[in-house]
Amino acid sequence: MNIETRDENDIKIIYLIGEMDTSTSPQVLSELDALRNSGVKKMLLNLEKLDFISSAGLRVLLATAQQLKASGGDLRVCQLNKEIKEVFDISGFSTLLMVFDNEAKGILGM
Amino acid sequence: MSESKQKILIVDDERLNINVLHDLLKNDYKTMAAISGKQALKAAESANPPDLILLDIMMPEMDGYEVCRTLKLNDKTKDIPIIFVTAMGQTSDETKGLEYGAVDYLTKPISGPIVHARVKAHLELKQQRDELKSAYNLIEAQKMRMEDELLVGRDIQMSMVPQVFPPFPDRKEFGLHAKLHPAREVGGDFYDYFLIDNDHLCLSIGDVSGKGVPAALFMAVTRTLLKARASEDLSTASIITRVNDELNRDNKKFMFVTLFTAVFEISTGKLTYTNAGHNPSIIRRNNGETILLDAFHGPVAAALPELAYKEDVVFLNKGDMLFIYTDGLTDARNSDKEFYTQDRLEGLLAAEGADDAEIVVEKVFSEIIQFEGTAEQFDDITLMALHYEVDAASFHVDRFEVSVTNQLAEIRTVNNLFNEFIERNQLTTELRRQFNLIIDELLNNIISYAYKDDDDHEIEISCHLIPGKLTMTISDDGIPFNPFIGQPPELSDSLEDRAIGGLGIHLVKNLLDKTSYQRKVGRNIVSLVKNVDNLKTNGEKI
Repeated sequence: MNIETRDENDIKIIYLIGEMDTSTSPQVLSELDALRNSGVKKMLLNLEKLDFISSAGLRVLLATAQQLKASGGDLRVCQLNKEIKEVFDISGFSTLLMVFDNEAKGILGM
Repeated sequence: MSESKQKILIVDDERLNINVLHDLLKNDYKTMAAISGKQALKAAESANPPDLILLDIMMPEMDGYEVCRTLKLNDKTKDIPIIFVTAMGQTSDETKGLEYGAVDYLTKPISGPIVHARVKAHLELKQQRDELKSAYNLIEAQKMRMEDELLVGRDIQMSMVPQVFPPFPDRKEFGLHAKLHPAREVGGDFYDYFLIDNDHLCLSIGDVSGKGVPAALFMAVTRTLLKARASEDLSTASIITRVNDELNRDNKKFMFVTLFTAVFEISTGKLTYTNAGHNPSIIRRNNGETILLDAFHGPVAAALPELAYKEDVVFLNKGDMLFIYTDGLTDARNSDKEFYTQDRLEGLLAAEGADDAEIVVEKVFSEIIQFEGTAEQFDDITLMALHYEVDAASFHVDRFEVSVTNQLAEIRTVNNLFNEFIERNQLTTELRRQFNLIIDELLNNIISYAYKDDDDHEIEISCHLIPGKLTMTISDDGIPFNPFIGQPPELSDSLEDRAIGGLGIHLVKNLLDKTSYQRKVGRNIVSLVKNVDNLKTNGEKI
């Protein structure tokens, strides 16, 4: 599991690369927590290279989204591949989170 | 014996003669008199007929012979014993009287003791005859009642076995045919077949002890229990074990049933079977070879509770046929009292190059009937054939099995093995990702929550690629837990309220075509099925 980031104004664009499963999700959570603690309020997660996400990974996204929202921030996701989209649909995350086709659309109005 | 005196009719045109006999008999019998043939007939036909008639021969108008002949022609009076009493004492007269149906002959002058002795003897004879007759009537009535009951039982039996053929016209993977030919009286055979799910066919054949309505009802109960159990279990050992326990629960009549039950996996040809006190079944391979499935997995069902029945597995290939039957077939006899025998049956099956279940069933059946010839069929004859028509070789089929300890890091080990499996069988990335997720969820659940100690535990994973399906079984010795019975999470919650639990299992269930759970010998067994297209396409990627 790899995490890469870049900044677009006050938005942190985060690339989740690899498999977000039971063993890797805690690592992702601590990295997202670190970003939040350093003052990041707006996150756009690019999931194009996320191979699969299990419920452990979904929990990390949910927890982060809830905490950002509570502090007046925002979490969005974009570029879901077919399998991630399927999991988002089954789990209801497609409506729970703000999902966009690509980064440009995700950044708009954030 | 009756308390009232028996009644004797004395017929004579001479009052004096009547009086003599009357005086002789009056202490022991009730007497009545007739002074002409006509009167005699009237008295005999009355609502209160005599038990015996002493009949004079020489009378005006209608003589004794005529009276006798008339009485013997009438159903109402023909059984009243008649003794001729006459002065004529010639042998030819005696012969004539006896020919007319009299039981005895007394000549005048009469002797008191002889009259007494003869009358007594014939009355006793008549009484015995009457008793015999009423006993006979009773037996006849009973026999008819039993035959009625047997017929009712037979009706129940025949209405219970499925008789629409072919039973699954849409299923081109197999052909199935069955026949039950009831014996006139004895017999408690039955058979049944049904699809447990899209890929599993359950077949049963059995022979209930006893006959008539009780046997038919026992049969109905057995059949219902089998169906109920098979619908949630693909192990015939487990099905029969549970059916046996339930049949034992209320078996006051001490009936029992022999059973051969099989679960056939249509996609792979895998046949799991249990034989409970039944005769062996036969597999006829496509090349004519016959294999006797002669393993016994337990005694007849309903005889003893709490038995653990066993099972065996055999695979059918394209063109192979399973032939199951009851012993009425091999025990059929010809007029020389020879049995048909299993050897003859195997020989016939080997010789018949049939590739159609119905043809084989009809062929064997007509052979048996021909063998029996004019001999009576003693027991029901039941036979069933399953012909397998799938060529499993035209599909990618593969499997892997792995055992890991309860460490979270082992999830990666399993997923890596699975990914190799996907690779070598040219399956899709989509399938790989779905199963990576599924494996992660289920193993994480087990490793994180199933164990109440800090010991190492083995988790067994087996994965099978069969025609049209990918199946996976995960087994652990943790606390009993069915992951699939929880409530699905509330998906419409808002972000703030969204709870976290239950999501993994929800994903697993939705990504698969079938999930099931069973607890077996101290282990949780989770079975997963995903429909896949794994038909080989000339070595091209699917």
